[in-house]
Amino acid sequence: MAFESICEKCEELLQPYLDRELTDSERREAQAHIDDCGYCAKRYHFEEDLRQFVRQACNEPMPPELKAKLAALRTEL
Amino acid sequence: MAEPETDARRIAEEARDRARFEEEVLELSDQVYRVARRLVPTREEAEDLVQETYARAFRSWRSYTPGTNLRAWLMRILTNLNIDRGRREQRTPDTRPMEEGDYFLYNKLEETGQAQDEERIVERLSQDSVVHALSNVPHDFRDVIVLVDIGDFSYQEAALILDIPIGTVMSRLHRGRRILKSELAGATVGGES
Repeated sequence: MAFESICEKCEELLQPYLDRELTDSERREAQAHIDDCGYCAKRYHFEEDLRQFVRQACNEPMPPELKAKLAALRTEL
Repeated sequence: MAEPETDARRIAEEARDRARFEEEVLELSDQVYRVARRLVPTREEAEDLVQETYARAFRSWRSYTPGTNLRAWLMRILTNLNIDRGRREQRTPDTRPMEEGDYFLYNKLEETGQAQDEERIVERLSQDSVVHALSNVPHDFRDVIVLVDIGDFSYQEAALILDIPIGTVMSRLHRGRRILKSELAGATVGGES
């Protein structure tokens, strides 16, 4: 894939970077760019926050009544 | 008369194993519900799905091999039941365009002045908008996001649970997250999604 700029390439590396899927050399390359480029650094930081936020926003606690119903499904000894 | 004694011991051991299994399964219920709640549209459906999952897990406890991944075993029952419930009748064609890159949402927030140099820009998004945006992601992609990003399953576990290759897990996750951001951009700043 041809990239117009290093930032475009860095954008493509964002998800595998956060997922720790890059090879060592790709990771070093991405890291060196992020350290130098405020534009990409902000976007990487945002993506990390976003993942955490999605996790929190979607965490709906289980209703206690359901917990009781599940416990009642246990085999009687 | 050694035999009845052996039988009695075996029955007692089995009862103990079963009780231990059921306790371990119940300890996972919060995590199971968290995933179920995002796989189906309503709380009621999630509760039904979790109950059915537990009823089946308790019935088929012998098919679980102790020491293997109980959480993934349980989640596989849940996703199979979900498929059996007929939600999958209309499969999502994999033709959605993917022109937006991974910076898309941030760029949109920045364009509309919502992304200033502040620490937690993400908090400009509302929790409801995230939940709604996720529900709009086609289910093939959403299932993987829910398992990996919300359920904390590894790619390998998600592949096992959904019975798809690990490469498919990764590509659906990558694409699903982009669709999610696109949906969020549409909902939050009125961009195209």
